[in-house]
Amino acid sequence: MQLSGTDRNRRFLAAGAAVAVVAVMALVLIAGFRLATRIRASVSALQTTSVLQTYPAVISQQLAALRGQLDTLEYSGRVHGELAATVADFNKDFATIERRHDLDPAAIHRAQTLWRSYQPALAPVLAFSGEPYDDTDTGSSLSSSGRVYYDQVRRAAIFAAENATVLHRQLAILSASLQARTSAAAARLRTLLFVGVLTVLALAMAALYLQLARGRHERAAREAQEQTRDILKTVREGFFLLDADYRIGSVWSEALTRLFGRSDFAGLDFEELLRNKVSPETLATAVKYIKLLWGERARESLMKSINPLGQLEVSMDNGRGGRESRYLQFDFHRVMGPKGVKHVLCAVGDITSNVLLARELQEAQENAHSQLDMMVGMLHADPLQVSTFLDSASAGLKHVNTILKEPARTDAEFRKKLAGLSRELHSIKGEASALNLMSIAQRVHHLEDMVGELKGKSELTGNDFLPVVLKLDELLAHLRGVREMTARLVTLKDGSPEPGATMSVPQLRVVPTEQPGAPSATERPARAAGDLATMLQQLAAKLAQDHGKRITLTLSGLAEVPDAYLATVKDCVIQMLRNAAVHGIEPSEARRATAKPEVGEVRVDFHRSEKGYELLFQDDGAGLSPEALKRAAVRKNILTGEEAAALDNRAALALIFRPGFSTREEVSMDAGRGVGMDVIARAVYALGGKIGVSTNPGRFTRFKIALPEARQAPAVA
Amino acid sequence: MSTDSNPDGGRRQVRLLIVDDSNIVRRRIERSQRLGEIEVVGTASNGIEALELARRTDPDLVTMDLTMPQMDGIECISRLIELKPSMRILVISALADKATAVQAMEQGANGFLHKPFTDRQLNDAIAELIS
Repeated sequence: MQLSGTDRNRRFLAAGAAVAVVAVMALVLIAGFRLATRIRASVSALQTTSVLQTYPAVISQQLAALRGQLDTLEYSGRVHGELAATVADFNKDFATIERRHDLDPAAIHRAQTLWRSYQPALAPVLAFSGEPYDDTDTGSSLSSSGRVYYDQVRRAAIFAAENATVLHRQLAILSASLQARTSAAAARLRTLLFVGVLTVLALAMAALYLQLARGRHERAAREAQEQTRDILKTVREGFFLLDADYRIGSVWSEALTRLFGRSDFAGLDFEELLRNKVSPETLATAVKYIKLLWGERARESLMKSINPLGQLEVSMDNGRGGRESRYLQFDFHRVMGPKGVKHVLCAVGDITSNVLLARELQEAQENAHSQLDMMVGMLHADPLQVSTFLDSASAGLKHVNTILKEPARTDAEFRKKLAGLSRELHSIKGEASALNLMSIAQRVHHLEDMVGELKGKSELTGNDFLPVVLKLDELLAHLRGVREMTARLVTLKDGSPEPGATMSVPQLRVVPTEQPGAPSATERPARAAGDLATMLQQLAAKLAQDHGKRITLTLSGLAEVPDAYLATVKDCVIQMLRNAAVHGIEPSEARRATAKPEVGEVRVDFHRSEKGYELLFQDDGAGLSPEALKRAAVRKNILTGEEAAALDNRAALALIFRPGFSTREEVSMDAGRGVGMDVIARAVYALGGKIGVSTNPGRFTRFKIALPEARQAPAVA
Repeated sequence: MSTDSNPDGGRRQVRLLIVDDSNIVRRRIERSQRLGEIEVVGTASNGIEALELARRTDPDLVTMDLTMPQMDGIECISRLIELKPSMRILVISALADKATAVQAMEQGANGFLHKPFTDRQLNDAIAELIS
């Protein structure tokens, strides 16, 4: 903007100089012409005065000659004629002098007066006509008029002789003054010419300088233009100006070609630029936004905040025949002119890598967050529990691996695999949730989702299991990480005065054994049972919180659980507790409405029985509805309608131990997967035990598990 | 609530109409404007109520929610602008998509504030609108 302003000024200056040159030259010429004319007139006047100066003497001579001729009675006609001519010449020349205004009027007046004083003497002489002599040609004497004439001539001659010098001098003064004026005019002319030439020279130099400056400036402008071109060629952002018709201007940066895969931007409509690259809705919004930019109403900061093109996903040809998604960022800046918005400057950048990086970062952050959560969870959890869980989870996953490796060909075999996977994963997830190890629980949940999806497929092949295997590997790696972290945390806790925690983890047996209060091997079952109680209380609290319910868990006799049954009892109670929290215990409002205590109660009691042991689990929740169970079984295609109708209440309740049964439609972390109770039942049967359920709808659900006398502890995962 | 009090002598107070279907948001905006040169001339919980109140109270400034029962904010904005073209409208909405913001601006809104907002953000947005 400033550039063109000075450019305009320079042009005005150059034009002004040219006009000045012409004007000065014209002035000099006109003045010079007038001076020259005046000098020419002066010169001719000077000639006249020079001639005039001679006349007084001539008149004197002619009068003297006339007198002489009259003295000698000679013929005087010719001389008289000459005198008359001289006087006439004098009068004529003098008249031209009198008309001049540049002569001193006083000097002219004096000459006039002098010349007029000649008139009384000259006039009678000149007035004489006729013959001054009597008689004949030989002449004898003057006639009477001749005598008068003679006297007049004589007086005139005397007058002329006396005054010729004075008149001559006066005329000489006039001539001298005229001469002085003429030479002064000549000097002025010389000065004028000199000044004129100098001025023209000066102006010509100024014009030359301006011309040079303009050339220099044009060079600078050209360079600036080149630099602009270079910038536009090199810059990574796409730049262009939009005019009031939303068309792209003639100047744009090369990056646009790369960003949009075209090069015909000049004059291109903005809408056309984005057409087929974004959805029609986005395009419509973008066009509306661009129109708003031209309005005076919206401020730049506001417009920036509602920019719908701040992160625009566009679909582009990838040059290999396909299309790929890229993220573009459009920035708009209004260029203001004297009459409001003149242009809108648009900057386009490819922020695909930024967007992807931001996503990765977010994922990493979430990951870190979950790790942190897990660490905090682990700090609260007992290391023994965590360690036990990790052992059983590893064993469980190994089992999963084994299931995956089992050769399978038919669809039925694949489906059997899936069922096995589901059960195993569900139980790992339950334990992880109970210990608040959410990072593990979520990963297992994800795996369960994948398995669930596979179940929904009409045909299964070995390849379908590949993603599951990959995910499983990831989970195993994660478990290793958790184990490492546990070890470190335990080392940290080592410094704490809690003796049991340090010694309960096998890896830490290196800790000096002379530590006071180190537990003996016999203390272990009691501790394990104590751990189980703590873990179950934590799980109950967590489940209550997650499902917005209020639950008290009363545990008794867990210390009695023999080592051999510890794992199974734990699994059973976890699963039943989860079911109670999700399905059984009602929300507080519902309980209030049925006059129940607001806080739901779950009792777990383990005790010896006649034939061995008995585990009682009872919640005071809504109970089980045989009809609802039947309907669910029909919906899940576990039973046909007729089969269901044929079931009595007892058999209907037993449906909950069927594989794949669930009464809940939505799937949560804690229930609804349809595995759980069947796993429990199998585990109980595996130990030679029995499981039974009884319910009073609206009042309670009770599970009774009978276990035989414990044999030597079998290997428990 | 008095409508023509001029505590700062001569200069007319800016008359604010608050439109939001949430009672909490309405009260929050009203409370934040208790002091200063803004006078809350009314609150409305939907577009129809807002139009009726606007006819009666002649507000200079309206804070406008977008998602409301009966008449939504976008339509209400255009009707308000028809009623009084010089009216300034600050859209306060939880809708995050820019298309809605652009549409609101197109209808005549002058500013946009995202929910949730702080008192300071609200005051800044209002100050910018009435300056």
